[in-house]
Amino acid sequence: MALDGVDVAVAEGETVGVIGPNGSGKTTLFNALTGLYAPAGGEIVFRGRRLAGLEAHAIARLGIARTFQASRLCLDLSVFDNILIGMHAGRRTGLVDFVVRRRRFLGEIRAALERASHLLALFNRDLPSRGFERVGQLPQIDRRRVEICRALAAAPTLLLLDEPSAGMNPEETAELMRDLRIVREEMPGLSVVIIEHDMFVIEGVSQRVVAFNYGRKIAEGSFAAVAAHGEVRAAYLGTEAVGA
Amino acid sequence: MSRDLALVWVAEAAVFALVIAGILAERPWALGAAGGALAAAGALVRWAPGLRTALARAFARRRGAALGCGVVLALALPLALRSSPYWTFVATLALLYVTIGQGLNLQIGTAGVINLAGAAFAGLGGYSVGLLTVAAGWPSWLAVLVGPWVAVAVGAILFVPILKTRGHYLALVTIAFVFIFNILMNNLEFTGGPQGIKNIPTLHLFGYAFTTRPVLAGVELPAHANFYYAALVVAGLTTWVLRRLHDSWLGLALNTLRDDEIAARCSGVAVARGKLLAFSIGNFFIGLGGAVYAVIVGFVSPPDFDFGYSLVMLSVIIIGGVDSIPGVILGACLLVPLPERFRFLHEYRLLLYGVVIVVMLLYRPRGLWPAQVRRYR
Repeated sequence: MALDGVDVAVAEGETVGVIGPNGSGKTTLFNALTGLYAPAGGEIVFRGRRLAGLEAHAIARLGIARTFQASRLCLDLSVFDNILIGMHAGRRTGLVDFVVRRRRFLGEIRAALERASHLLALFNRDLPSRGFERVGQLPQIDRRRVEICRALAAAPTLLLLDEPSAGMNPEETAELMRDLRIVREEMPGLSVVIIEHDMFVIEGVSQRVVAFNYGRKIAEGSFAAVAAHGEVRAAYLGTEAVGA
Repeated sequence: MSRDLALVWVAEAAVFALVIAGILAERPWALGAAGGALAAAGALVRWAPGLRTALARAFARRRGAALGCGVVLALALPLALRSSPYWTFVATLALLYVTIGQGLNLQIGTAGVINLAGAAFAGLGGYSVGLLTVAAGWPSWLAVLVGPWVAVAVGAILFVPILKTRGHYLALVTIAFVFIFNILMNNLEFTGGPQGIKNIPTLHLFGYAFTTRPVLAGVELPAHANFYYAALVVAGLTTWVLRRLHDSWLGLALNTLRDDEIAARCSGVAVARGKLLAFSIGNFFIGLGGAVYAVIVGFVSPPDFDFGYSLVMLSVIIIGGVDSIPGVILGACLLVPLPERFRFLHEYRLLLYGVVIVVMLLYRPRGLWPAQVRRYR
């Protein structure tokens, strides 16, 4: 799916909701932002740096973290390992420390494990004690939390959440919203862009909403304004329904 | 607590004694008895939950003692096998497979970089030693230290473009590489062609020649015991290094890129660099195994490094446990001596070997000693 003339700006500490029908280019926007897709043209500027052409790992190191619509956790690895990988880019120890100056490495990893425990405890107080279990043994809602923790572990300045409520029942979605509010309180300077189909979530967490259709931005503004926008209603409900 | 200690020592000593009995058993009935006793001990642990939990707890609490006891028994092995230089040599070979297996496990098990050219990289180490000693006149120990770097350099130069591809291209290219290596070694003049390189001088360290028969605790051992101890030091150091690398940021990054490359990239892991690092470190230890092999055996030739040996190396990992460092040790210690023990089965033992691997993949795909969660100790 191609994007065409999308112009989205996100301010520091702001939460922007992205809505639009399936195939309207929401995830494509994330993939272009994180360097998984190379844009054919246009510009992505992040804190004064151009991102187009950079590799995904380089972009991640600049402070952009994301989650995925379909979970991308390593189910065979421990809960802690899945979060620690988020801190991998910020490591200060190298091969020599791993093998010979082991203490230096162990000191660093102990601090990292503590941070991972702290992040897990924000969402679920029982999770830190399960840190050395394999992620595959956790229930779905906790896996989603681990994925958010992995993204937060990198101490990003921009967090991209790709439909975090996908596959959740209403109770789980309510818990997710609580989790997102915790993120908001704990990291006030963090900018968040969230893709969602659940309008309840979008209304609850975002300060500004952007609507997509066919790879174009069709509306932008407060949730109420965008929800009332004619083109948005047409995109979701069909032109006939809106006209009637 | 001291009960735990006793349990650890008794368990390890019992396994050691039964394995030695099995190795030295001359007659089929004696071999059967030793094998039966081992199987019975295994069954007892498997189906006696009380004993099982007691053993598990003892080994968990007394990790240091368990390791120390293992080291003592490994040091004592040549004493137990002193009547048989042949079995001392087989044990040495098993230790070389531990070294090679650990290197290969970093590539295949930890990073998911499927390298089926293990034999060729071991061959690069071995041939380098042969050429450096016989043709260039270097001392053996220096050649053993330099040989592995040849494997690293050739691997890095030839495989950089392929490491960037996804899927099974690398596996296919490495298969091709083993055959190319063999054809080259068979046909190049300076590597001795099919004859290989003969008369590689033995190791001399600090004036001690490895062909003298060592005396340990008043007992004279076969000269092969020297090489056993050298291989033990090499395998021990290799395992130590690779365990620490596995339980580090590197092991974590490699596991992540193996399981989900996109998640790894979006977490800031430079995938191509990680794969190249794993490939190079792995090739170093595979080359080291080949280099030590060359000075032990005293000659290298193309059939020592053909594709079949790549498959044996792969089987060590599959049977022991993919990404499992103790698993590699177990796999090598089972897979190298057992086929020797069953030589009387002639051709059928290859059949047996195939059956064992199929059964493993069906019923214990994670291996005999599956990889545990990283604990950062």
